[in-house]
Amino acid sequence: MHRRTEALYALGFLAPYLSVLGVFFLYAFLRTVYFSFTQYDLFHAPEWVGFQNYAALFREDLFLRALRNTLFYSFFVTVVQTFLALVLAAILNTKIRGVTFFRTVYYLPSILSSAAATLIFIWVFQRRGFLNYALGWLEAHAPILLTFLGLFLLFQLVQVAWERRLGLPVHLFDPALATASLVLALALTWFLVALGVLAPREGIEVKTVWLNTRREWLGVPIPLWSIIIMNIYTTIPTFMLIFLAGLQDIPKTIYEAAAIDGATPVQQFFKITVPLLRPVIFLVVTMSLIGTLQLFDQVALIGNAAPLESTITLAYYVYNSVFPSGATPKVGFGAGAALVLALLTLAVVLLQRRFGISERGY
Amino acid sequence: MKRLLVIALALLGLASAQVQVRISGWGGTDVAIVNGVLENVVRPALEGTGIEVVYEPVEGDFQQFIFNALSAGTAPDLFYVDIFWSRAAFASGKVAALDALGVDAEPFLDNLVQAFTLDGHLYGIPKDFNTLAIEFNKDLFEEAGVPFPNQNDTWETFEAKLKAVVDRLGDVHGICVVPDFARFGAFAFATGWKPFNEDGRTVLDENFRRAFEWYTGLVDRGVGVLAQDLGQGWTGGCFATEEVAAAIEGAWIAGFLRDQAPNLNYGTTFIPKDPVTGQRGNFIFTVSWSLYEGSKNKEAALKVLELLTSPEAQQWVLERGLAIPSRAALANNPYFQRPGKEPQLNRVVFQGASQGNVFPFEFRGLGADWMNIINEALSAVLLGEKSVDQALADAQDRLDRLTGHK
Repeated sequence: MHRRTEALYALGFLAPYLSVLGVFFLYAFLRTVYFSFTQYDLFHAPEWVGFQNYAALFREDLFLRALRNTLFYSFFVTVVQTFLALVLAAILNTKIRGVTFFRTVYYLPSILSSAAATLIFIWVFQRRGFLNYALGWLEAHAPILLTFLGLFLLFQLVQVAWERRLGLPVHLFDPALATASLVLALALTWFLVALGVLAPREGIEVKTVWLNTRREWLGVPIPLWSIIIMNIYTTIPTFMLIFLAGLQDIPKTIYEAAAIDGATPVQQFFKITVPLLRPVIFLVVTMSLIGTLQLFDQVALIGNAAPLESTITLAYYVYNSVFPSGATPKVGFGAGAALVLALLTLAVVLLQRRFGISERGY
Repeated sequence: MKRLLVIALALLGLASAQVQVRISGWGGTDVAIVNGVLENVVRPALEGTGIEVVYEPVEGDFQQFIFNALSAGTAPDLFYVDIFWSRAAFASGKVAALDALGVDAEPFLDNLVQAFTLDGHLYGIPKDFNTLAIEFNKDLFEEAGVPFPNQNDTWETFEAKLKAVVDRLGDVHGICVVPDFARFGAFAFATGWKPFNEDGRTVLDENFRRAFEWYTGLVDRGVGVLAQDLGQGWTGGCFATEEVAAAIEGAWIAGFLRDQAPNLNYGTTFIPKDPVTGQRGNFIFTVSWSLYEGSKNKEAALKVLELLTSPEAQQWVLERGLAIPSRAALANNPYFQRPGKEPQLNRVVFQGASQGNVFPFEFRGLGADWMNIINEALSAVLLGEKSVDQALADAQDRLDRLTGHK
């Protein structure tokens, strides 16, 4: 009796959530499944067409492109941002001066709304935007920068060789020697520039088109690369925070023991941090996969700044089918694509769980 | 207490006698225009009729809003229909045929009425319209000692004038070029090219190619600059910063320039003619007031529709330089003869609708899917990613698949 009352209470508390779930998820999902087997334009009664929508989808170039874009985007972004977020979290977990400041600074990008971030990035990616300007500056100043780098290495090698000849066990990048090399290299480079021996190259202007282009790099459209850079930049901080929370749970004593045994920081990272963080990595990878497979907002916001086929993802394809600009809605088509996206997401997450990193810890 | 009850009952009676007509359009500058018309023309005329107008402007994607509302049965009684998606809206069966309700479209410009007519039925009364024109910076032309562009210009003479300005001044460009059919199309139409042939197929023929080569070549020939290279998205943006001598826009540029470059001394003339055919081309961008088929207050809504498109309403809008009237009778309005840059701009835009090969900005309900293919061909050539041959061949292939001819 007591149990039954308890169950009733539980149901009572869950009822609001369950009803919302029922209406906005279950009912909507079943309707989507039904529409995916029909031809439906929002206005006239749906007409049953069987698997015709699905067959047509896989014959359509734009859909296949969206599928390809989505899969590559999801895989690449998940791998890169998980790795970078972990590295960043590991660094920000160390005891360095002003770590709170750095944690705050690195977290800032994730506070930006994706609309604001996209607008800023559209500006950065313009043909005469910040990115091309920076690349052009680097290319023009390459002789000076390379000379400086070469001089630095030269001074450092000479100094290290000298010290070692004296029998001192110095590391290749000994900080004291590196500082001296840096000052020397800077001074000499400055001198060479002042003499006019070295000068920035003239007339270098990088005119890479980052958005309005159909060009590809490594088989992936350049505009999609732009979205990749943008997304990695804005998502890393969130995952970094999750990793940071996970890292705080790893006992310091393990690191101390490893350090006594002579493990380097890199060895500690791969042998202690990564294995002990497995459940957190699983969480992050799963969240990242689901998030990236459903990428929509940045594609929509970039809009006409880039050709549709170079940025289109499945989520955007669904939207574009249901609300095509200037044309009749193709709801059946869109519903089919939406289901493909849902199944794909489910499959990728299950595969990830089965063959990738699982939540099982050490 | 008794008195209160009587007042309450009277108010209730009054409320029930009121008929509410909901109207909806997009937000932005239209909010001020529609509110102005409602306050100054519509509401005074409706006094005592028991009709109340409620205006619901929509910020964001209006097409999405209205398609949703039409399918859900919650659409406002009167709403905007943009020519660009008019065919999809009218084909839905949710927009009332106005000819069957006895609405007279006679006083409106025939071009515009045709744009809102599908299968012999009239589905909207044109609210206002726009066409393209050439706006030019008078100061730059004067400084360079080059005659202003005028209505006798062909593509060649127009280009020569721009080139002369660029050569003499050095630090300006002739015109901003955008990879957009909404601008380029006017030149393609001038050659006699039509977007669709009798079979509904789009053929990128020799005429199209001639316009395409001229337009995309503007940059290479040192006359034009890509708008995005100046950090702009449209030709009006480049024009306002005085980095270019001319722009190709409609009357909508007036409000923008009033805000962004109030001292810019500009003139307006017609789109130049194709040197081969001697014709000009143009687009009609227009919006209608249409009636919801499921409206419960059709009669009241029709009364409001009549007032919204009445000569008084259009006169009010025209005098403030806010929109171009759709009534043919307003062609001889004294406003158009007033001196000043805005009346001149509006006059040229108004007359643009009846000069040469003019097509409505509508593509058989294929909308952006159709236009994107041409836009992408334009941008591929302008950015040097494809040759003209390659770009046109690819575009033809995709258009054939879209129109079902492959």
